[in-house]
Amino acid sequence: MAERVFITGMGMISAIGNNVVENLRSLRLQQSGLGHTRYIATIHKDVLPVAEVKLSTEKLATMAGFESTGGYTRTTLLGLVAISEALTAAGIADAKELPAALINASTVGGMCDTEKVYFDILDPQKEGTFLQYIDTLDCADCTQRMADITGIREYVTTISTACSSSANALMYGARLIQQGLVQRAVCGGTEALTRFTINGFNSLKNIDKQFCRPFDQQRNGLNLGEGAAYLVLESESLARQRGARILAELSGWCNTNEAFHPTAPSPEGDGAYEAMKNALAMSGRTVEEVQYVNVHGTATLNNDVSEGKALERLFGAQVPRFSSTKPFTGHTLAAAGAIEAIYAVLSIGQQMIFPNLHFSEKMEELAIVPETRLLEEYPVQNVISNSFGFGGNNASLVFSKYEG
Amino acid sequence: MKGKVYIRGCAAISPQESFSGSFVPQPPTLADDNILRAKEPDYKAFIAPNNLRRMSRMLKMGLTAALQCLQNAGITVPDAIITGTGKGSLQDTERFLHDIRQYAEAALNPTPFIQSTYNSVNGLIALQQQCTRYNNTFVHRGFSFEHAVLDGLMLLREGNAANVLAGGFDEITKEHFYIKSRIGYWKTALTQPADLFSSNTPGALAGEGAVFFVLGAAPAAVSLEGIKMMYKPSQESLGQALETFLSQHQLTPADIDLLITGQSGDSNHDHWYQFVQQKYFPDTIATPFKHLCGEYDTAGAFALWMAVQRMQEEERLKHVLIYNQFYGEQHTLMLLGR
Repeated sequence: MAERVFITGMGMISAIGNNVVENLRSLRLQQSGLGHTRYIATIHKDVLPVAEVKLSTEKLATMAGFESTGGYTRTTLLGLVAISEALTAAGIADAKELPAALINASTVGGMCDTEKVYFDILDPQKEGTFLQYIDTLDCADCTQRMADITGIREYVTTISTACSSSANALMYGARLIQQGLVQRAVCGGTEALTRFTINGFNSLKNIDKQFCRPFDQQRNGLNLGEGAAYLVLESESLARQRGARILAELSGWCNTNEAFHPTAPSPEGDGAYEAMKNALAMSGRTVEEVQYVNVHGTATLNNDVSEGKALERLFGAQVPRFSSTKPFTGHTLAAAGAIEAIYAVLSIGQQMIFPNLHFSEKMEELAIVPETRLLEEYPVQNVISNSFGFGGNNASLVFSKYEG
Repeated sequence: MKGKVYIRGCAAISPQESFSGSFVPQPPTLADDNILRAKEPDYKAFIAPNNLRRMSRMLKMGLTAALQCLQNAGITVPDAIITGTGKGSLQDTERFLHDIRQYAEAALNPTPFIQSTYNSVNGLIALQQQCTRYNNTFVHRGFSFEHAVLDGLMLLREGNAANVLAGGFDEITKEHFYIKSRIGYWKTALTQPADLFSSNTPGALAGEGAVFFVLGAAPAAVSLEGIKMMYKPSQESLGQALETFLSQHQLTPADIDLLITGQSGDSNHDHWYQFVQQKYFPDTIATPFKHLCGEYDTAGAFALWMAVQRMQEEERLKHVLIYNQFYGEQHTLMLLGR
């Protein structure tokens, strides 16, 4: 019998707050983080809304405890801010105290900074400190810097499965624990806005010029966001032995692939359905025991139809409350799975369901509508969190209330 | 670990004639730069013409190696597709960066953006083989392929898969070669692979490749006994990890019939191999492999492929150990048995 996996600490930074408490406050106040970029040099800056962390890279460096950015990318600094909160919250003063895993997620690594100096790097006539960013081009750089600063080193790796990256990081960490390879895994993802990604999604005509409207008939695409989030996962035995405060259980998970289209989900949501169904089966919970689904809900035309159909297939006429929190945070790509995992745990801890902002009109393809109100004192026991991505990569996680 | 895990099939596109026919190791001759380029097969046998036209080089290489691997293993749909890549499709990343500049962010073709995502090869394999189950991509330098292997081993142990397709792929471009040359990744003077280990100069020769394996519980000639990764170890902790790893498999260094090492001819980092060989394997037959495939994030996959070839040819090899590290940071041991 594999060990149960508990969440004992969380840390995050997003457009709606620089830590977990600030994020919760914004969720309760229904304050979206969407707006326009202050830090990205792009022709789209006044046209395409984004959910940007409201701190310059220099300020982030200060928050992370450095005098200057000194070769640390925004991706890394966001990650460092979030992971240090997660470790502190878990009561871990020294992460080196036992062999642990750091499973990080990233879609474009340090692109946020390298894209600014890329053509200088290619120019043999140019020399300078920008050359220190060369090694930040890939996804491993941010992870290793976080590993080096926290001292986590038993397993150090990075996952990149587009928008489901950090959900897969959580899954992988949980499995390392269940296999007995480590007792603790710190898992999550970090994503900084880049001109590269903004132009990528814009070239796919996937970005709404208005604030995104998940599950709305008039929705017209996503808004990108940035942020980082990490959850400390621990085996039941470690958590008990050290008397850790247990926030929730990661009770089920599933990763599937749609094998349908490189950038679009199947219309009936086959992959989403399978991922949710199998994750729930693993958790040992029934569909009746799920009170909330934090949907992927990007507000693209395709995702919401597909995910909505999957919800209707799985839950029939009794679809639980569901909402997309992307109108708060934007779509934070590699960080999204972990940010929303924290919201799922908060939902359980606070007995609260977060509203799906910007919704007004039911989708014609669906019988269901998202929850648009903030529900407090709502008895949330089990939450499904969905992350679906390019390449057909789907991941669903089930979080369950820890009963003493 | 419940049952043994076997390597049921493999396929490699590399700077060697590795894709078809029998493998005769042959250090390539370099003409004008320190790049060992993959010998690409005719993709038409694997990919439909209209898809072929759209796909960039890395996607073609990755997909084709994966398909050939499945064929060699006699499997159509694996239960999981797991890959590792340090850099993904560099050509596409570069192209999109150049396009953004050249067209001033207007009217961009999305194809290079889509193909630059690290999981695009995985998605393609899944799409082509209609594999709707587990799918994951690791992107962590010298741990990319290795975590794909570990993930596969865990899936098999969990009973969630009978056959796992696991692979590693990376390409090198002129542009990326130049970028990394600015921070000393490569040798500065043209160095022939045949002279790699007597060069005694800093830097490596760049390489590339796409190598896939089917891992499964059904018996085959070679078993994958275990894998151990060490992040930025000290010499002492590396030695301890090696001893522990072998003893966990009831082995001592003397039981290893062949040691495959990742020397890259880089005078900055090859001391790791000297240490391991001198301390633990002074009398063991050892063979390097980077004069055959060059240095790249997922070169470990080529080493594993080479180990399987050797074990298939030589019955006497009961235990083969691979030790590889990538620029001193990610160190890996892989143990093969029967």
